Amino acid sequence: MIRSQTNIFTFTIITFVMMMLFTPEKVSSQSVRVLVPAGSFHSVLPEVEGEPIQVDSFFMDETAVTNEQYAEFLRENPEWRRSNIPPIFTYDGYLKTWKSDLEPDYEEVGENRPVTRVSWYAANAYCSEQGGRLPTLNEWEYSAQLLGIEDEAEMNRFSSKLISWYSGIDANNLPEVGSTGIETTTGVKDQFGLVMEWVADFKPIIADEISLDCGTVGRMQTLNSVYSYAASIRYITRMSFNPKITTGMVGFRCAYDEPDRSDQTKHEVTL
Amino acid sequence: MRSVLIYLILFSVLGFVEVNGQDMHHQHDYKQEALKAGEVQSGHSLYHLDNEFITHRNEKVKLSDFAGEPVIVVMFYGNCTQVCPILIQDSWRLYSSLSESTRETVNVLAVSFDTENDSPEVLAEYAKDEQLDISGWHFVTGNDTDIRMLAMMLGVKYQKDSNGEFAHSNLITVLDAEGNVAKRVEGLNQPMDEAALLIESVSKNSDETK
Repeated sequence: MIRSQTNIFTFTIITFVMMMLFTPEKVSSQSVRVLVPAGSFHSVLPEVEGEPIQVDSFFMDETAVTNEQYAEFLRENPEWRRSNIPPIFTYDGYLKTWKSDLEPDYEEVGENRPVTRVSWYAANAYCSEQGGRLPTLNEWEYSAQLLGIEDEAEMNRFSSKLISWYSGIDANNLPEVGSTGIETTTGVKDQFGLVMEWVADFKPIIADEISLDCGTVGRMQTLNSVYSYAASIRYITRMSFNPKITTGMVGFRCAYDEPDRSDQTKHEVTL
Repeated sequence: MRSVLIYLILFSVLGFVEVNGQDMHHQHDYKQEALKAGEVQSGHSLYHLDNEFITHRNEKVKLSDFAGEPVIVVMFYGNCTQVCPILIQDSWRLYSSLSESTRETVNVLAVSFDTENDSPEVLAEYAKDEQLDISGWHFVTGNDTDIRMLAMMLGVKYQKDSNGEFAHSNLITVLDAEGNVAKRVEGLNQPMDEAALLIESVSKNSDETK
């Protein structure tokens, strides 16, 4: 009898714990993952002339990580909160526009706007926690150029828009994720027009060898397209970053090796 | 994270704390007691990187497991036949120039960034070939993100080219007892006297505080 009482007790506890943990799950904290099939692209980096770069298939978040998603991560990972994060992982500006450790101040930064002012280390920690990682530079760039624009005039128009965007990202008035209307053929949104994004290897070895100035842009490969000029600006800006910076124009999204599994099925598997 | 939390709660409720405890704490012979894992005091300590790596002895380790004594860190990859053997030999030159008593306490972490090829087994073979499968030496690898984060903290750059070779920095780093970068030796075949002196002094300091 004692045994069955224990069983009932155990059952009650498990049910209670499960209810506690699963009920408050918010839809907004889940990310949609998009398959980016294998392929190749041409880099604008001077060192990789000629041969296209091969990229294996991978999954990537449809949109950049939002303030709300990041707040959810911080709720479960106190060591990455503003008041706890050690200086080896970030400069002082980490989430500086947030009201407090866990309050993004939605009036100012918006629930569904991309989280910015996060260092590269913090971005890595977030993606690891989701079972993913930051996309590599080549994955991100490969995905970004899958725009399906075939008409040269249209490409030139798009590129001019990009160049003006890169020269003036308004960090204080970021649009919501998914709102730019820019989407790749595989369904990845806002790789342009929202924020710059962290990638795993944002500082390739070549960053040591080239000075990051206008002359360098001139030496980057042109690939016969105005688009490559915008790409050069992006590469050079990104190479000038350091992993602790926390600027308002840099956010991130995660990539994954494994196929997409919604949070729901993941929990079922875990238990 | 959430599933870990659930298990923690369930296990403690059901009284399986001991079983869980064994899983949670990896015991290592070389673990120093002077500064316990998790007790990282300096904000600039590399020991804040709380991720797990795996050694050529198939042991799971965290960087903070090595806290309490100086650590020599070098990043390399196993298939590198030109430069990396020199880099590893440089690390050995530094290690072997230390006094015998210091050598007993210092750990050397040779961390591979070729996460695809350098499995613990491959690294074990490598350690044997280099005659460095000795106590205090740990050939380590881990998942891409963790290795990349460690490299970034050290200031090591690496990049795989299309032939599977890596372009990489040549850097040996000395960490003090708390995991702060105390000395960086850049380039191959560099003099190691300063780094050795520093390790001796750090090692003595940590002896005194015991």
